[in-house]
Order: sequence, then C-alpha cells, then structure tokens
Amino acid sequence: MADFTLKEIKTLEYVRPEIEKGYTDHSLHIDISSADIRINPVDKMVKEKFIGGKGYDLWFMWNSVTGKTRWNDPENAICIASGPLGGTPGYPGGGKSIVTTISPLTGIPIDSNVGGYFGPYIKFAGFDVLELTGKSDKELVVLVDGIESKIRIYEVSGLTDDSYELSMKLTDYFDKDKPVNISVVSTGSAAKHTELGCLNFTWFDAKRKRVRYKQAGRGGIGTVFAHKNIKAVVARWGTVSMKINNPADLEAMKTVTKLHAGEINTLDPKQNRMALVGTTHLVPIMNDHDCLPVNNFKYGQHPEAHNIGEAVYEHIFDKGFDGCWRGCAVACSHGVKDFVPFTGPYKGKKVFVDGPEYETVAGCGSNLGIFDPFFILEMNFYCDTYGLDTISIGTGIAFVMECFEMGLITREHTGGMDLSFGNRLNSLELLHQMARGEGFGVTVGKGIRKMKAIFARDFGADAAIMQDIGMESKGLEFSEYMTKESLAQQGGYGMALKGPQHDEAWLIFLDMVHNFMPTFENKAEALHWFPMFRTWFGLCGLCKLPWNDIVPEDNRQNPEPAKVMKHVGWYADFFSSITGRKVSPDDLIPMSEAVYNFQRLFNLKMGYGTREHDTLPYRSVGPVTVDEYLSRTERYDKDLTDNYNVDITGMEVSDKVAVLRKHRESRYEQLKDAVYKRRGWTENGIPTVETVKRLGIDFPDVMALLKTHGVE
Amino acid sequence: MITVDEKKMEWHQGMTIRDVLDKVENVRFCAAVRLNGKLVSSPSFETTLIPDNAVIYILPLIAGG
Ligand code: SF4
Repeated sequence: MADFTLKEIKTLEYVRPEIEKGYTDHSLHIDISSADIRINPVDKMVKEKFIGGKGYDLWFMWNSVTGKTRWNDPENAICIASGPLGGTPGYPGGGKSIVTTISPLTGIPIDSNVGGYFGPYIKFAGFDVLELTGKSDKELVVLVDGIESKIRIYEVSGLTDDSYELSMKLTDYFDKDKPVNISVVSTGSAAKHTELGCLNFTWFDAKRKRVRYKQAGRGGIGTVFAHKNIKAVVARWGTVSMKINNPADLEAMKTVTKLHAGEINTLDPKQNRMALVGTTHLVPIMNDHDCLPVNNFKYGQHPEAHNIGEAVYEHIFDKGFDGCWRGCAVACSHGVKDFVPFTGPYKGKKVFVDGPEYETVAGCGSNLGIFDPFFILEMNFYCDTYGLDTISIGTGIAFVMECFEMGLITREHTGGMDLSFGNRLNSLELLHQMARGEGFGVTVGKGIRKMKAIFARDFGADAAIMQDIGMESKGLEFSEYMTKESLAQQGGYGMALKGPQHDEAWLIFLDMVHNFMPTFENKAEALHWFPMFRTWFGLCGLCKLPWNDIVPEDNRQNPEPAKVMKHVGWYADFFSSITGRKVSPDDLIPMSEAVYNFQRLFNLKMGYGTREHDTLPYRSVGPVTVDEYLSRTERYDKDLTDNYNVDITGMEVSDKVAVLRKHRESRYEQLKDAVYKRRGWTENGIPTVETVKRLGIDFPDVMALLKTHGVE
Repeated sequence: MITVDEKKMEWHQGMTIRDVLDKVENVRFCAAVRLNGKLVSSPSFETTLIPDNAVIYILPLIAGG
C-alpha cells in the first residue's frame, strides 16, 4: 500500500507512433498549467536541420519562449529528447537523454547530456522530444506509458521530496513486477530553495534491485522543474531489442555495434579501466599535471590528492555491471553500497551512493581543500538526494571558503559557521540548509554570480577581488579543471555556449602538456572542430566517453590522435545504418554547426550571446594574488621573460602579477578574435548572415534578430 | 625483460619510463602510463625506475571529461 496519493486529473489515450529509422517523427507537449496534452508531427525541415536530441530541444524551446522570458515564467520550457541513435542496446554510450531549459543561473539555454533510461523510453513510447511548459498550483506527476499508450497526469500528495525514495516508490507504483520498465525524472528538496537544482534520471539496476541515478546537473534545470511544481515525470516501456529503432540497415548496425563494443571490452582493461574506476583515474593524472583544482582553483596540486583517486575508489566501489544504458561496455557509472552518512537525515543509516565521478571528487573534495574519500561520498549522496548539482556546489562553496579566509565574509554573515577550506561539517551543513530552505546555505544556493552581488551590497565585500576569484562565466560555475596554463582551455570554457562546462572542448593536455596548438589559428581550429564534434553526440542521443576515453591500439599512429578518427568513422556508419542517411565522417561537423550556431543565436535572443559575455574570471587565466604567483614563480617569471619579453630584474612580485595579467588578458582577447573568425562570427561574436545562410538557419526571425544587432 | 603494451623489451638497471618511451614510436601524446597497475604521469617519467619483469601499458591521450 503506497503511503502517498495519486489523483488522476487527465488521461490521454493515443496511437503510438512507430519508430522508423530512429525517429518517431512526433513531439509531445504538456502544458502543466492546464494539463493540456498535445502530440504533433515533427516537420521535415526540423528533422533535416536539427537532427534530434539537443537540436530538437532548442528548436521547440525557441518557439516557446520570447527574448523576455525568464527561467521562472510559465512559458519557459523543459525539453527532453533522446536522438535518432539513442536507445540502441549494446552500442557503447547508446542511450542518453538531452535536457534543455532557460537557466536560472545564466538566463540562456542550458543543456545537459544525461544517462538513465528516460530519453530512450520516451522515444519508444512514441516521442522524439518531450516539452514541458506551464506551472501548476498543485504538485504533479506525469506518466508517459508506452506500454498502454496512455499519458496520465496526477495530482500527488504525501510523496517524499528525497529523490532516491521518491524514485523507488514511483518505480514500485507504476510497475512493481517489472521495475526495469520504469525510468523516473525528479529533483529534490533543495531545488525548491536554490538555483542549483539538478534532475535525477533513473534506471533500475536489476542485479542490485534498486534504482540508480545519473544527473542532468548543470544550470539549475531541477530548479525550473521544482518551480513548475512537477514532482516527477515517469516513462514506462517494455522490451528493448536491437530492432527497436527500426534501423535502415540492421546488419550494418549490428556490425558497427559489435566492433565498437568489442574494442572497448578488449582495450578498457589495458587503458583507463573505466569499468573498474569510472573517471576517478583522472584525479591523480590531473594532480600530477597541476590541473586539479585545489582551494578554489588557486592551486593545481596537493600532496594528499592520492587519497581521493582511483587507487582508493577502486576498492570502495561496489563490484558489478554499471552501465547507465543497457549493455554499455564502458559501464563506468559506479556506486558505493552500504555507505553510512555521519550527518543529516540519513545519519547512521546505510545508503547507496551513485558516484562519485571525477567532477564530484574534484569539486566537493580538492577544491574545498578536503581529501577524504568518504566525505566526498556524503556530499555526493546529499547532493543527489536533495537534487543539487555537485559541480556548482563544489565550485560555489570553494568560492565562499576563499571569501571567508580573505575576510570578505565573516561568521557574522555565515550564521556563525567557520567556512575555512577543509571544513567538512560546515560544508555538509550548507547542503542541509539548502534542503531546509534556511540559513546561509540559501545564499550559497543562489550561485556565485548572485553571491558576489549580495556580498558586495550587504556585507561590503570588495567586488573587484570577488570578480577575480569567483569562478563563474555567464553565471554558470566552472567545472573542475585548472586552466591557467592552457589558453585553448580558457577558450574552451569562456566561449562555451552555455557557460564553463568542459563537455564542449577539453583541450588542456593537447595544448599545455603536448604543445600541439602553438598558434592562435591552431587553437581556433581546435575550438571549432572539438565543440562541433562533441555537439554531435547530443544531437544523436549518445554519450561521448566511448569516443575518446578508450581508443584503438593504432590510434597513436594517427597524425591527430585526439580526434580518434577510426571511431568518428564508426559513428558515421552507425548514423547511416540507423537513419538510412548515408554520411561520411566529414558530414558530421556541418550537422552540428547548424545547431551550435542556432544555440549561439538563442543566447543573443535572450539578451546575451555577444563578446562581452564570453569573459572569464582572472583566476582561470593567471595568478590573482602574490601568493599564487609565488607558488609557481619559476613558471610565471619564464612566461614574462620568454613569451612577453619583459625584463623582470628588480621587479616587485605585485608588479609582475599586474604585468602578467595585462599580457594574458590581451592574449585571451586575441584568441576570441581568432575563434570568432573561424566560426564565421562577427568581431562581436555573432554569427554572420553568410554563416546562417550557409547553415540553412536563416529563418525570418533569425534574420530579424541579426538585424536588430546590426548584422546584415 | 619487461612487457610494454604486451610486447617484450630488454630491461636494464636504472631504466626509467622515459627510456622505454624513447624506444617506442608515436608516443608524443603520452601523458601517463600504467606501471605494474599503478599510474605514472609525465612529470615523473624521467625519475621513475622500472623494475625487471615490469608490465607497462602506455595510456592513450588523456581526453578529460
Ligand atoms: S560510457 Fe559510462 S556514462 Fe557513458 S553511457 Fe556508458 S556507462 Fe553511461
């Protein structure tokens, strides 16, 4: 007997659109305000230009919002889509969902590529994309039931906010006999009180008999979801086979699936061992190369970092298959069984923790000056349970800790809490406060950009220094890589469409360690190709990890091994085999380019999307403080003398800091010029008329938007 | 004798990771290796001594998140 009540307020029985070559060619729109449900065919033009996944999400959002829409307006949409290749069992990384909305942190579209079964199940139920708009007075649960071909909307009461419990209860409720048929999307209590809310996407782990989680973490999508008063969206589907996408060429699809999965099975154990350690192998490697953020990105290394790397987590992770999509050979979504939190509502109880991944380890560990693997597990667990983004939480608390140590804020402002680096209990207390909607945690939950304004306005803190050390750009907190010595990665963060997330371009090693792109033009070329190719995964419903985290044995003989061209070829074959649209590797970049430029135009429509918004805090570019300079004196002195011909004899360190800053900031501006040119944008970072025409996105409203900004 | 990417290689006293990489082709983008199961990153290639009978895997280019 369920301890919550669902009252059905709307049911729509529908004829399920069949999947044909990866597409259902239908979209599902639910207006939460009126419980209105619409099913529409997808226009042929949309399919050709926007491909699927994130492309579809952005197209439908573009048509739902105006330039004045803010995140908490009812017309703001949350769109969730898989993609034409999404839902292929056994293809490594073949089952992602892409989520978009107007972010409370940035005011522009945020996108997140997330695992779990939801996106594929929605497609199997008949829809290439689900769009949720409106806002309800009562808490709602939406069920898209592909087995019974029914969409049901319920008012819900008595259902917990805690994500794990909520998902398990709804999974039980909607298919007790076959829980694997259910995927739940929900957030948690902190999403209601902060702007850092994430969405948890489930899959049912049949062996462990529990729901497992992946997060659409970035940009506060969970906050929008909670604000709409949606408690959960549930997808239900049954049998999944290789034929499910009704591919154009089943045999070709099977062949390429076998090749890619086989290679991973053979090579992952010899390479990064992701099936055992997930992405935690990155911790020691980043640390050794001075790229692991320590104490709010001040330093890139710490002697205790080995305590939170693969050598430790390998022994903590629960053994077993950990694919967040069916049959994914990488199987890197690990978790920890029987963890016992030492704080909060689950104190003393055994829980399962999904994670941590590298970003959580670095964000909630080293960046806070904490090198305790169990503390990181507890942060991970409560972030998931409360519906919080571990990256923004880590980077946000790191900023608060540095402000505290600099005396910009004091105990008087933090409710008496000591928030020095290394303070475990108070870091966790901030999370609990966010969940309860009280105390200083609520201020931290507004994100760095708003905290900077509050600290300056209410506490009299120095705005200029906070601008330098507050690791956000476009309003989004940085993900967890130190970029000071990689100009290309500074560009990868600063010019990323949604804000500083590494999924667009990760170029630190190519640039900094291998010096593979010495000129601005080389860097600009990389900042064209990599973001475009990485975008393609989001269009198709795929995970990027199998592309370049496990590579063919002969890959290093390739002149540009970073592109892993053998795999790009397989992806082209995979796309051709399902959609019947014959493509070569060279065709994949232009597919993404149209969507990528459309997203940049979307930023422009929302009042951003120009050069001034591609700025970076100086902490990501060079040493802000004398201390920081002194920690790497040899490196910075060399940069001044060798690269900028500065005579440093007799110079004070503070002067060196200032001169280096001038040069490094100017170098970043030069990089922007080169990248904009390569991408076919104006000097102000706006796609030119020629570019939008070439890409076929010269829609009348796009042309009118460009005209408003003087681009004709 | 040591094993590098499943191929045999002569071992000598004082051999470092750098010495091994100097004998292998196309390793420009190598930032880390696995030596007897443990990660060793490029800043330590010159100073890490290899024991006899070691098993080494040259890791692919680090691809980030
Ligand atoms: S590679 Fe990892 S994150 Fe990607 S789909 Fe597979 S298990 Fe999930």
